[in-house]
Amino acid sequence: MRELLTDLWALLVFPGFAFLFTSALAFEWLDRRVIARLQGRVGPPWYQPLADFIKLMAKEDLLPTDANRLAAAVLPLVSLAAVLTAGLYVPVAGNAAASFEGDLIVVLFLLSLPALAYFLAGWISVGVYSVIGGNRSLLQYFSYEVPFLMALTGPAIFSGSWSIAGIVSQQAQTTWTLFVQPLGFLLALVGLIGKLKRDPLDIPKAKSEVIAGPLTEFSGRKLALWHLAMDMQSVVGIFLLLNTFLGGYSLGFELPAAAAFALKALALLGLLSAASVLYARLRIDQLANLGWRVLVPLALLQLVFAIW
Amino acid sequence: MDAILNSLQLAFPDDEFEPRHVPFDETFITLPANHLHAAVEILVAQFDLHHLSTITGQDTGDAIELLYHFWRGKGLTLRTALPYASLSIATVTDVIVGAAFYEREIMEMLGVTFEGHPEPKPLFLPDDWAGGEPLRKTFVPLAEPESPGKEPVE
Amino acid sequence: MTRMTIPIGPQHPLLKEPLSFLLSVEGERVVDSAMRIGYVHRGIERLCQQRTYIQNIHLLERVCGICSHIHTTTYCQGVEMLLGLEVPLRGLYLRTLLCELERIHSHLLWLGVLTKNIGFDTIFMYAWRDREIVLDIMEDLSGGRVSHAVNLIGGVRIDIDERQVAETGPQLYDLARQVQKLLGVIENEQTFKVRTQKVGFIPPEHVRSYCMVGPVARASGTDVDLRRDAPYAVYDRLDFNVVTHQDGDVWARTLVRMQECVESLRMCHQILDELPAGPTSVRAPRKVPAGEVVSRCEAPRGEVIYYIRSDGTERPARVKVRTPTLTSLMALHEQLRDVNIADVSVVLSGVDLCIACADR
Repeated sequence: MRELLTDLWALLVFPGFAFLFTSALAFEWLDRRVIARLQGRVGPPWYQPLADFIKLMAKEDLLPTDANRLAAAVLPLVSLAAVLTAGLYVPVAGNAAASFEGDLIVVLFLLSLPALAYFLAGWISVGVYSVIGGNRSLLQYFSYEVPFLMALTGPAIFSGSWSIAGIVSQQAQTTWTLFVQPLGFLLALVGLIGKLKRDPLDIPKAKSEVIAGPLTEFSGRKLALWHLAMDMQSVVGIFLLLNTFLGGYSLGFELPAAAAFALKALALLGLLSAASVLYARLRIDQLANLGWRVLVPLALLQLVFAIW
Repeated sequence: MDAILNSLQLAFPDDEFEPRHVPFDETFITLPANHLHAAVEILVAQFDLHHLSTITGQDTGDAIELLYHFWRGKGLTLRTALPYASLSIATVTDVIVGAAFYEREIMEMLGVTFEGHPEPKPLFLPDDWAGGEPLRKTFVPLAEPESPGKEPVE
Repeated sequence: MTRMTIPIGPQHPLLKEPLSFLLSVEGERVVDSAMRIGYVHRGIERLCQQRTYIQNIHLLERVCGICSHIHTTTYCQGVEMLLGLEVPLRGLYLRTLLCELERIHSHLLWLGVLTKNIGFDTIFMYAWRDREIVLDIMEDLSGGRVSHAVNLIGGVRIDIDERQVAETGPQLYDLARQVQKLLGVIENEQTFKVRTQKVGFIPPEHVRSYCMVGPVARASGTDVDLRRDAPYAVYDRLDFNVVTHQDGDVWARTLVRMQECVESLRMCHQILDELPAGPTSVRAPRKVPAGEVVSRCEAPRGEVIYYIRSDGTERPARVKVRTPTLTSLMALHEQLRDVNIADVSVVLSGVDLCIACADR
């Protein structure tokens, strides 16, 4: 009985749904706020993401006549479920809901599911902007995913473990992977920006080009779920990078694990916000060039170094 | 400017140009409609006067007048009048591509036909416009549509 | 490869004004485009014939939402010429000051639109924040941020006092510093250059055949500027350079426009320093003697031409307006052939379209 309760707590509250939901909203707010301050604006109040979520949930849910209704309903749920499941395996300040040898690979697989769902969302909602946005998201996926995966094998090789918890504890004994593989961290960061479709790699949903990309035709509850899935994905992604490259909850000096973890997460979020402020959006062919001509060779080099 | 006038006079010995100075460095000369295209060709080919600022069309009450405003340092305007009976003139888009929109505008606003225009379609007016040519003296503006008032919308 | 037709406009996040494009695309390549304008056609030329010369000032100010002052300037100087009015020098100086402030305001606004469309929101925010300085100056001078209602037939409505001269100078220096910062970003930021260089290329032959004007022509190496070539107002008394560039792409146009801002700021300082004393306007009669006039001015986007014909009454017989955007619109289909969909936004914003101007 007690075991069941702990499991339920882990699934629904910490580090499961409730925790991810809260931090997703908090991260979105912080991100928007930081970007706004860097651009000389004020930015939204703290409850804005929550208000947006509630408002969208209450809005009318419309779809084009030709769209596949079943798929449109299932796809946001699939990506949300994939991200939530991935969240269970990524330790938060050392606490993971579940862990086994090889969970890094499962997490990477689960985190790439939303990208496919995103592409399909564009395809089944038939609008021209959706289809073009969907095609772009697939092309973008092929450009960032390979260097991202290669970069994340670095920490695994470095610490000799394919479990995220194992990588964290290994780093606590030696040093952060960041110091050994700075290049890998950079590649993973670029990959993460591409995965989260943040500026400057928000190519599939570039407003001035394809309106809102694959999500153009979505509205109401489905759009709210999509946004939630994206926000949670950025939380899980940041936590993943934190655990694999920045030594998880360990810090050079004494600090409670939770505080150290939060501090690092905020720093990483700040880095992402700064990146979106500093650069103009690339074109999809420029990204593909960058991905295959620069990032992949660098990732290979990095991998050779790591094995050696 | 004198050189231009001379060679135009050479090309059309029978025409009276009545060159007139109009404020802000502009010379106006009058040409018959059937000589206009040839005159534009001379201006572009011999004098490199390729900047056509715009074409003004106006209904003077006696005829439809077209004014081709050229510019290079100074202005030169070719003026031609079309009688209401034959509102047609050769297009100059084959010499100056950039005349296309000006001619289309005059087509819909004054009802002049430009022979050989590559895209004789409305430019500013709606596709289903049937109210006549808005810049003609005879144009009667459409009555204001009746206000729907504040009745509830279905 | 299958062809798709993408509608851009009349309502689209890319365009702030109604303009419709139907793009035929194959994959990410645009192969053909069809344009439709006229969504904001207000029949201003016809309306002008039904109103008096004085009422027309306020009507023509509304041809364009951004370069409102240049339209009344062109119109008023034409009517003044018909009337044979000698405008006091101080009035002309103030008219020119507003023209140059408006140019800065228009160019900064445009930079914001361009950077927004290539996903570079930071520069968009900065450009529009710095634009507030110009708007503040204009509000202080005329009471209006965008529509100034400054021009009268026979001069200007406003005057400027010692305090305003003293306060405007430092504000302009602040702005000059900000413009230099923006120029630094334009010249050095790699992602910006990657998106704008070799995009929306207009060769000098197209400038010639489409009769293009203004910064678009100057960025393609055509050295033309009415302020220098056919000076109006007090431009013959001011010292300024005409900025040109050889590249002919969107990046070159950005550079030209921003360097024009620098020149305009210089001119504003000269005007404030040299401002002669005296009245700012003379009284104009209601009726205008018969005659015709062709008035040209250099708007922020290039040559504006007005043809005004009077038949001796208090209403003009014809007012013809040609705005610079119309020339750029004609050449757009050339630029939109064989480009990436992502570049459509750059091409469209690169020529600085003002649809309300073009539709009239």
